[in-house]
Amino acid sequence: MASANAFTRARYKYFPDHLIGELLSKRWMESAVPTVILVGVFGYLSLNLPHYLSPINLMDLGRLYAEFGLVVLAMGLVMIGGGVDLSIGSMFALCNIAMLSLINMFGWPLWAAIPAVLVFGAALGAVNGFLIGYLKLRAFLTTLVTLIIYRAIVDIGLMNFAVEISGGFLESEAWDFIGDGDIFGIPSGLIAFLILAVIGHVMLSRTRPGWHVMAIGGARRSAHNAGIAVKRTICLTYVVSGVLTALAAVFFAARLGSAGSDVGSGMEVGVLTAAVLGGISLGGGRGSVAKAIMGGAIVLLVTNGMIRMGMEGGSSSLALGIILLFAVGIDVKWLKNRYKIINKVYVSPSYLELPDAPSPEKGSGTPYEVNDRLKTVTAIGLGTIEGPEDVILDHNDNLFAGTRHGDIIKFSGPNFETQETFAHIGGHPLGMAFDPDGNLLTCVGGMGLYGVKPSGEVYKLTDETNRTWYSINDDSRLRLADDLDITPDGQVYFSEATIRYEMHSWPLDSLEGRGNGRIICHDLNTNKTHTVIRDLIFPNGICTSFDGKSILFAETWGCSISRYWIDGPKRGKVEPVIPNLPGYPDNINRSSDGNYWLALVGMRTPTFDLAMTMPAFRRKMARRVAPDEWLFPNINSGCVIKFNEAGEILDVLWDLGGENHPMITSMREHKGHLYLGGISNNRVGRYKLENADPDWVGIDSYWGKKS
Amino acid sequence: MLKKFTLKKLLALGFASTLTLGMLGSAANAELIDELREPYIQSFKGKKVAFLPIAMGFDLTEGWAEAMKAASEKHGFEFVIRDPNWNTNAGTQALTALIAEKPDIIVAHNPDVQSYARLLKKAEKAGINVIQVNMKSSYSTNVYVGADWVEIGEAGAQEMVKRCGDGSGTSGKVAIIQGPLTGAASVYQVKGVMNILDQHKEIKIVANQAADWDASKAKAVTQTVLQQHPDLCAVFGFWDVMTLGAAAAVKEAGQTGKVSVLTNGGGNQMACDNVKSGAFDKVWSYDVPGQSRDLVSMIKMIFQSNAKPGDMRVALYTPLKVISREAFDPSICWSLKK
Repeated sequence: MASANAFTRARYKYFPDHLIGELLSKRWMESAVPTVILVGVFGYLSLNLPHYLSPINLMDLGRLYAEFGLVVLAMGLVMIGGGVDLSIGSMFALCNIAMLSLINMFGWPLWAAIPAVLVFGAALGAVNGFLIGYLKLRAFLTTLVTLIIYRAIVDIGLMNFAVEISGGFLESEAWDFIGDGDIFGIPSGLIAFLILAVIGHVMLSRTRPGWHVMAIGGARRSAHNAGIAVKRTICLTYVVSGVLTALAAVFFAARLGSAGSDVGSGMEVGVLTAAVLGGISLGGGRGSVAKAIMGGAIVLLVTNGMIRMGMEGGSSSLALGIILLFAVGIDVKWLKNRYKIINKVYVSPSYLELPDAPSPEKGSGTPYEVNDRLKTVTAIGLGTIEGPEDVILDHNDNLFAGTRHGDIIKFSGPNFETQETFAHIGGHPLGMAFDPDGNLLTCVGGMGLYGVKPSGEVYKLTDETNRTWYSINDDSRLRLADDLDITPDGQVYFSEATIRYEMHSWPLDSLEGRGNGRIICHDLNTNKTHTVIRDLIFPNGICTSFDGKSILFAETWGCSISRYWIDGPKRGKVEPVIPNLPGYPDNINRSSDGNYWLALVGMRTPTFDLAMTMPAFRRKMARRVAPDEWLFPNINSGCVIKFNEAGEILDVLWDLGGENHPMITSMREHKGHLYLGGISNNRVGRYKLENADPDWVGIDSYWGKKS
Repeated sequence: MLKKFTLKKLLALGFASTLTLGMLGSAANAELIDELREPYIQSFKGKKVAFLPIAMGFDLTEGWAEAMKAASEKHGFEFVIRDPNWNTNAGTQALTALIAEKPDIIVAHNPDVQSYARLLKKAEKAGINVIQVNMKSSYSTNVYVGADWVEIGEAGAQEMVKRCGDGSGTSGKVAIIQGPLTGAASVYQVKGVMNILDQHKEIKIVANQAADWDASKAKAVTQTVLQQHPDLCAVFGFWDVMTLGAAAAVKEAGQTGKVSVLTNGGGNQMACDNVKSGAFDKVWSYDVPGQSRDLVSMIKMIFQSNAKPGDMRVALYTPLKVISREAFDPSICWSLKK
């Protein structure tokens, strides 16, 4: 049995189940299917075609790919903007003929002819752009018409000049380089393509024009309402598409010098397939340069491979069609079902064995024995406040509490009957602390660490920390900053409960029992942030010790309190203070007698403790049962505990019926009273403490008495 | 020691055989060895010929391929086909790949005079012999086997002059239906036609269009021309398979016999049948079996002579055969064996 446990423990310790869900959640996983197809096709061809991996062949493929890829890029851009450009093949043919006739018939020098053809391409695109962007014609029909018109111009041009155009053979080193040259084995065309792809990627993903295109493709009306110049932007996508196509045509002209009448005919189908296969949505708004590159590569490799394998005539088109149909089918299914899969596999339980919980039962003899002392709690702001996770009071007896609505509410007056919104932050404020200047610092779920000046002005301290290079989830962003405290030298230590779940789904983390959380330090002097301790099991409450040399922190699902030394000989070390609590600890705060208050948000149950040692059971539950039916830890009724530096339990306050103040997440002592907060409560509780210093104010114990 | 022994043995053997030969007498002395035969047989071993047609699936390319395939099976060289299926871009890709594969001979059927030119030059540079068949590129390689398009164009034009020229009592209007304008068959046939018609101003070319080797396009072109010029005298189509469309248009217009349909092609059975039925009036055949034999002969010659690219510039223009109703000879035509 023991060895079986050890095996289970090792299996869940070393096998990174949670990475599967994290990988699937990545946006670039949308391209997973095209990537697999690409690798498969390339692998198959290199095994089955002689000399496939030879430098000469790769270079030839690169040359072909540059031309095709440029056109796919052009089509991709238009599609992301919500349009489609069917005239792309005719434009390609027209630009090819323009280029050849400029140099072969009119004898233009290259430096003039190439820019002229690019401008020509832009003009052809601008015709589409003007009709679709400004006159709001349908992209499909418009480009279908320009396809025919441009093709007709090609035919007329060929009819009259084909022989002259084809007759010439420009002898120029520069022209040969464009068509047939390379730099260190990389074909000239591919170099141009790669440069443009990088520029395109940056433009599309990092700049305003790119975002505008994305926004228009996603929702044209919304983009218009947001003040984006929709008409002009759409027009420009067609212009850019024209220029890219013209450039591809220049490389094609240089490579073959062919003015054949079938140049570019049917190209739009291949290009469109490539874009869709890469994952660029036909509906617009979704796509990237990488997707265009990938889709283009697959289609080119398949068509080229078919020719090379000696497939005859129609059969190669048929095979291509079937492969593409298959791939597109899988792709659509994949995109559609990815989120379902993520939902099923994201929760990845691990093995967590807790010692037997001390019993809080009456007569059990433990310090946690239940009582009914919180029965006398009075309510502040009953029904007018939602979710005060933490509460704090200042010198003037003003009480501050965060709300679910993203506000900090200030209660004032002798019985806190006056209520006003002190500041609006936008996210749910959780833990709070005053800095020496009287600013109220708070951890805001989903946002980060913020401060509020006494005037009510909100400012951001940080919303990021250092990125760990090996983590799959981006752990530089703060997802769930929870509680904080400030050390005498101005370091803000704050906990981030989990890096795998967002503010609204934090209870899901309890099913995992993995160290998903961390403690982060923000230096108020330098404004720098770095992660201090990782892999904590839902770190929650944080409190600086009275001597300022260590911080105490609670791990909620780990049911323990630990101490982290920030000064002195043990600096940097973590040691346990209370290793085994009967419930789930939340915030920790100082008490007037030199000890600490601790809130237990809920009590442990034998069932859930057992479930924590059965990760397979919890995984099955997460996959097969609706979330409403899941087994969650009890976070409904708890208590308040007082403990000393040594971790001994000195006192415990219960609300037996759970009627007055269920689910306590925080408590703050102030002038002989204890103020209670609860993340799901609709009130702040106030409890009269016996034998407590009636003048003690929490801030003073940090920053000294204010005169 | 060994050497000595061997030498001794050899001497003994030589002596013995002399004796034996002497005894056998004059019969053995008379046997002549054909010194060309063995090198001929050996010259095919390990060789590879690649055929790059415009497309497979029609009489010309199937005919050539059949002959080359039969030769490869008989002589034991490798023969591969790359079929770009009427797609020039696919053809250039196939040719590029072939250059990397380095066969001994590429038999190239150019879709137009320009597209393959650069690549053929590259192939020769890579040491590959290139035979161009029936449609030349603007770049000439070692060998060209195929029709003399100028001659065919001139023949067709002369026939038009005969049927529609002075004294024929017709309108003198003719239509010309080309293949792709940049294809060698179009470029040079037009040249041949113009060589003649420039001296015969009485012939009016009312249409000169490209139907891209496509019968349905040829039909559409002819229909339009017949509507505009019901008194058309002759249609000259540059390839019989395409010209079938033109013949159909003439027939639909009820003009069979009034509008002469002239064309040329590989001399497939289809051509004879259509001449017999009256759809075509005259067909000049460049005789695919003959071309095929020329092709295989040139392959054999290159193998045996170890010719290098650029060693020669040879053209084997196919002798023309004429298929007409007046002198109908069904044996002129051929059909695929399979």
